[in-house]
Amino acid sequence: MNPQPAQSEALRGGEQPVSAGQVLRIHGLSVSYPVYGQEPVKAIRDLDLGVRPGEILGLVGESGSGKTTLARAIMGLLARPGRIDGGAVNFDGRDMRALSEEALRAIRGRDIAMIIPNPRGELDPLLTVGRQIAAVARAHLNITRAKAEELALEMLRAVQIPDPKRRFNAYPHELSGGMAQRVVIAMSLVCSPKFIISDDATSGLDVTVQAQVLDLLRALVRDKRTAMMFITRDIGITAHFCDRVAVIYAGEIVELAPTGRFFENPMHPYSVMLLAAFAHNPKLREKWHKPLASLIRSQGKACEYATRCVHVEPQCNATHPELRELEPGHFVRCFVPVLRPA
Amino acid sequence: MRVLRYVGKRLIFIVPQLFGIILVSFFLVKLIPGDPAVLMLGPFATEEQLEKLRAGMGLQGTVLDQFWIYLTNLVQGDLGTSWQTTQPVLLDLFQRFPATLELITLALLLALVIGIPLGVAAAYFKRSIIKKFSDYYGLLAGALPDFWLGLVLIFFFYTMLDWVPAPLGRLDIALIPPPTVTNFLLIDSVIAGDWQALWSALGRLILPVVTLGVINAGPILKMTQSTMERMLESDFIRYAETCGLPRSVVIRRALRNSLPSIVTIISVLYGFLIGGAVLVEIVFSWGGAGQYAVQGVLNADINPVLGFVLFSAIFSLVIYLIVDLIYFAIDPRIRS
Ligand SMILES: Nc1ncnc2c1ncn2[C@@H]1O[C@H](COP(=O)(O)OP(=O)(O)OP(=O)(O)O)[C@@H](O)[C@H]1O
Ligand SMILES: [Mg+2]
Repeated sequence: MNPQPAQSEALRGGEQPVSAGQVLRIHGLSVSYPVYGQEPVKAIRDLDLGVRPGEILGLVGESGSGKTTLARAIMGLLARPGRIDGGAVNFDGRDMRALSEEALRAIRGRDIAMIIPNPRGELDPLLTVGRQIAAVARAHLNITRAKAEELALEMLRAVQIPDPKRRFNAYPHELSGGMAQRVVIAMSLVCSPKFIISDDATSGLDVTVQAQVLDLLRALVRDKRTAMMFITRDIGITAHFCDRVAVIYAGEIVELAPTGRFFENPMHPYSVMLLAAFAHNPKLREKWHKPLASLIRSQGKACEYATRCVHVEPQCNATHPELRELEPGHFVRCFVPVLRPA
Repeated sequence: MRVLRYVGKRLIFIVPQLFGIILVSFFLVKLIPGDPAVLMLGPFATEEQLEKLRAGMGLQGTVLDQFWIYLTNLVQGDLGTSWQTTQPVLLDLFQRFPATLELITLALLLALVIGIPLGVAAAYFKRSIIKKFSDYYGLLAGALPDFWLGLVLIFFFYTMLDWVPAPLGRLDIALIPPPTVTNFLLIDSVIAGDWQALWSALGRLILPVVTLGVINAGPILKMTQSTMERMLESDFIRYAETCGLPRSVVIRRALRNSLPSIVTIISVLYGFLIGGAVLVEIVFSWGGAGQYAVQGVLNADINPVLGFVLFSAIFSLVIYLIVDLIYFAIDPRIRS
């Protein structure tokens, strides 16, 4: 489907969806959830994506578009009854799908860390946060308990929790949402992973706290040159947070571009709608939070977005569009892309 | 500090709670037909003799009068006399309650040892043989009557195989019981250093303990399994999995969070078994508290019944207090 990545990169000069040198490379990944008595829900279809070391890749899409499914598929932790139908997930030279459960356990938390929303619900209510951070360090780093707790305290300092010595012994319910989110970030960074997936991590926080947490996260990630996949429904955040933006719709990447190019000239009608919606219309913004499960079950003979698109042409309903590179490093899955006159 | 204040509050409430329990049970027991005076003196007693006996037993006057008499005796530590054993009820209960407690405590320990690991394994390995086995176990344990299992065990292990002593009480009749200290035979024989008695008592405990333990492991298994399943699906366990924590740590965390439910079901079973073990006590001629109370009910012997209710109530209240303390210890959200 794709031309040889190395070759085309040399020809065109833009970052390809998947290319050598990326720490995470996803090739033709398909994930589905079987539904009893019906067609399975195809949550991810034939998806190509990669992340360079030190890069922050934004993954934007509405509720139900498959963001969490993609994240969990990468980690080998799909929720029941999800299953991977095909494709490859290559992390740091290893074929994740071929690894045993024990090998995956060793990678999770150490090489790939995940930050998920609802931080207080993610922490064990019966253990102090310090011990929980230390537990992750001990599980992966082969150090003594005392050393692990020292490291945990250090991490609490790094995520700028006020009074870290005291917070070390706090229980999750004693923390505010923002503080709990910092604890989760500390936990995800304690083993200095190569790759972090942040799934909607800041959506539960109020705006100022969100900004603080994001700045901190970005600083920490940049500092260690950690690669990150930043999943969000809020396209606005990606503008100043990410290096590249990928828009996912119904389990497919519909647009992928360096952040600057993306915001200068979003080419997919869906991306345009997203940006317009966020810029002007709160009603539209609400609408895009609704899951669109029916779309995910279409047969794949047409453009997935055709039913909602403003300028549909006959071929949009007849053929499924491929992801095309319309300018260096800018990929769009559309027959009639929105091109801004130069 | 909070714990102490909490315990204090609970202790203060114990007195009115006990009063309510006595009040209700007194009037309920009074509804049981039968006149102990007639039962005691036989069909040829004169009316005069009967009246005199009733007066002596605190049975004259209205029910309210009788309740008052019972209460005034009670606060002086007098639970009345059983006309069947002709002994003070307090003394009877001090002999019989430990017999039952010894039995049900060991049975519950066995039930825990069976129920918790099976429940955890069934919850963790959802598609395994263990899960199937636990399902059938829970079903069978719920459906089989405990006394029936007791009889079957006696048939196999005493009658056929002769591996265990006869189901006739707590100690070999040929043995002299160790001097009474606690009335828990195991403890008393250890105190006396009487290893022969200890051995005999242990041998006789095996079958009734297995009977009650195997049956009562059912609810513990079910509760452990369902709570563990819920915990393993919870956000924080899923997050522990994404952090790559070892399996043992994940299971330990889920189990710790399941403990409050498990402790609750144990405490309920504990309170229930004091009376609920009565059929097994009868099968094994155990001479426990439940048997004593049932004899009382059948023979219009009121004082043993009330004494039993009172003892069980105190026991249950103490158990619930301990349970609350365990919650305190486990869950920081309650502590703060
Ligand atoms: N455990 C599951 N069983 C069945 N279907 C599922 C399951 N999890 C997700 N799906 C379906 O897969 C699709 C993608 O879901 P996913 O959770 O990945 O979306 P998302 O982009 O993360 O949404 P959100 O922004 O709401 O978190 C949806 O149609 C959803 O209904
Ligand atoms: Mg999601």
